[in-house]
Amino acid sequence: MSTNVLICDDSNLARKQVLRSLPESLSNNVQLAKNGEEALEILRSQSMDVLFLDLTMPVIDGLGVLQAMQDENISLPVFVISADIQPEMQSRVLELGAKAFLRKPVQQTTLNENLQLHGLL
Amino acid sequence: MLDELCINISNRLNTGILILDNNYNIIMWNRFLQVHANKEDNHVEGKSVFTVFPELPRRWLERKLSSVVQLKTQSFCGWEQRHHLFELSHSRPITTDSHFMAQNCTFLPVEVEGDVERICILIEDVTDVCHYQTQLNKALEELAISNRIDGLTQAFNRKHWEECLAKEFSRARRYQHDLALVMLDLDHFKLLNDTFGHQGGDMVLIETAKTIDKLLRMGDLFGRYGGEEFAVILPNTDLEGAEEVAERIRQAIAKSAINHQDRRISVTASIGVAVIDSDDSRYEDLISNADTALYQAKATGRNRVCLAKEAVEI
Amino acid sequence: MSSFDLTEDQQDCLQELINVAMGQASDQLARYLDTFVYLKVPSIEQVKSEHLFETLNQDLKATAVVSQGFFGYEGIRGEALLMYQPQDSHRLADLLGYEADELTFDEQIIDLSSILTTTFLNVFASQIDNQMSYSAPRLLSANQGTISEHLNQQSFNWDLALKVRISYQVTDYSFNCDMVLLIPEEAINNIKAVIDRILEDF
Repeated sequence: MSTNVLICDDSNLARKQVLRSLPESLSNNVQLAKNGEEALEILRSQSMDVLFLDLTMPVIDGLGVLQAMQDENISLPVFVISADIQPEMQSRVLELGAKAFLRKPVQQTTLNENLQLHGLL
Repeated sequence: MLDELCINISNRLNTGILILDNNYNIIMWNRFLQVHANKEDNHVEGKSVFTVFPELPRRWLERKLSSVVQLKTQSFCGWEQRHHLFELSHSRPITTDSHFMAQNCTFLPVEVEGDVERICILIEDVTDVCHYQTQLNKALEELAISNRIDGLTQAFNRKHWEECLAKEFSRARRYQHDLALVMLDLDHFKLLNDTFGHQGGDMVLIETAKTIDKLLRMGDLFGRYGGEEFAVILPNTDLEGAEEVAERIRQAIAKSAINHQDRRISVTASIGVAVIDSDDSRYEDLISNADTALYQAKATGRNRVCLAKEAVEI
Repeated sequence: MSSFDLTEDQQDCLQELINVAMGQASDQLARYLDTFVYLKVPSIEQVKSEHLFETLNQDLKATAVVSQGFFGYEGIRGEALLMYQPQDSHRLADLLGYEADELTFDEQIIDLSSILTTTFLNVFASQIDNQMSYSAPRLLSANQGTISEHLNQQSFNWDLALKVRISYQVTDYSFNCDMVLLIPEEAINNIKAVIDRILEDF
């Protein structure tokens, strides 16, 4: 059974960076979203196993996605990957239920370590 | 070999180099600083920069240095904001008037394996720049003043006075405030000039300006409008108030006698007063109303105050 | 066609480099000011030199402009202008929270600008394997005439400016600040080459 992965980031480059850093087991079934609204549409209609989420995005930002997921009881492991690395922001996303906070540009080793830590590898 | 070369060069630079550790103790300084601070090497190295230079603003500098360490980025302090940080002598003590060297300081983080372990402070002597810039600023300031002031009477000149009126006019319009204008012309000034000479005439203008100036409140704007014509802008003043001011000015001028070459010169003034009203769309309207009133004062016998008609009707 | 017309991929890549730089700069700013900075997506615009005055005139009635030169390796150099809106000026003084007698408003705004410029460009440079040095920041007199004059007197011939619009909202205070990077053509070509290098990796 393959894992359903959703990558949400407004930057094409950033999406590719995440995609490239993913281990093989997670890279077979990947969907991409360009902003929070697109991500929420996918999350509402399909069952995803893991979400990689940017914060600073147009339309609906990362915090908005986390909040909506909480409100709508959409539950899946979320890894926030953002350039907004302020400690307060990091603790805020963790409070909103994200599994981990990774700083941009994302490094393959850090990503894998975190996936392992949270039992996705 | 290269180290020696670097030390040699750093000692010949016309820039101060000061290297501190994270506790702000001095690790190294170059000859420039040694000479200009006039302190011995052995009294300096290993000591806190605040002990060696007690004149430093400690709280401020600590915040500055901590930003360099924390943000790992260069920071600056220019002479325009702070004339100097370190009390150093400079090489132009005779030809400039500054006691200490004016300085531009740069604070550089020195990173060792990603951590800032030292701070390098570069101190440039900008006494020259500071001296000339200060002189230039002074000259510009004087120029700006002389651009606004009438040289003879020290009242505002016509150009600046009109700019003030334009501003006050639009302010009064916007906030619906009162605004009054008093214009006055010395009576028979040509005759006075013929009798007492131009020096006598000038003296009268100077003394009259002084007399008027003494009667004005803060915020009133007094200018020389033309040859023997003066004008006063009275913000937040209604017609009644302006008439009172005008009458006081008229009496004061008439009362004062001017001594000139053992002769006494008496002079009177005709005055026109106008206030802003809803028909005035431009400040020039206000001037022409006051001017009309002034003409009336002249026509009805001089040495009197007349009020602008339009304003009277309100 | 200008040498700096970017493809969609190049533009996206530049935007991401700037986002990351902005993120880290804001983090450092937040730590320095001991506050939290709300980040918005910075807007990036390329402005041809002959149009710069118009753009600046359009959205800027800046009261304070701080200029700081920068240079790195591979001919990357330019000048950063930080522009503040008049209505925000008094808020800046509050925000920086210095003791009133400790330093003047001029010094505060120069300090803040220097932090914004250097932290932003440091991170930007490190992403493209470069390292920046800076000249001392200078406060240009606070009116538009002087700004235009300054731009006219630029010593190097820049052809194109990168206008990065950053708006900061800091817990209780919000202020807008435009950062305009004036970059000469050879430096722009260099940045473009670096972007292509990054894109080739994908």
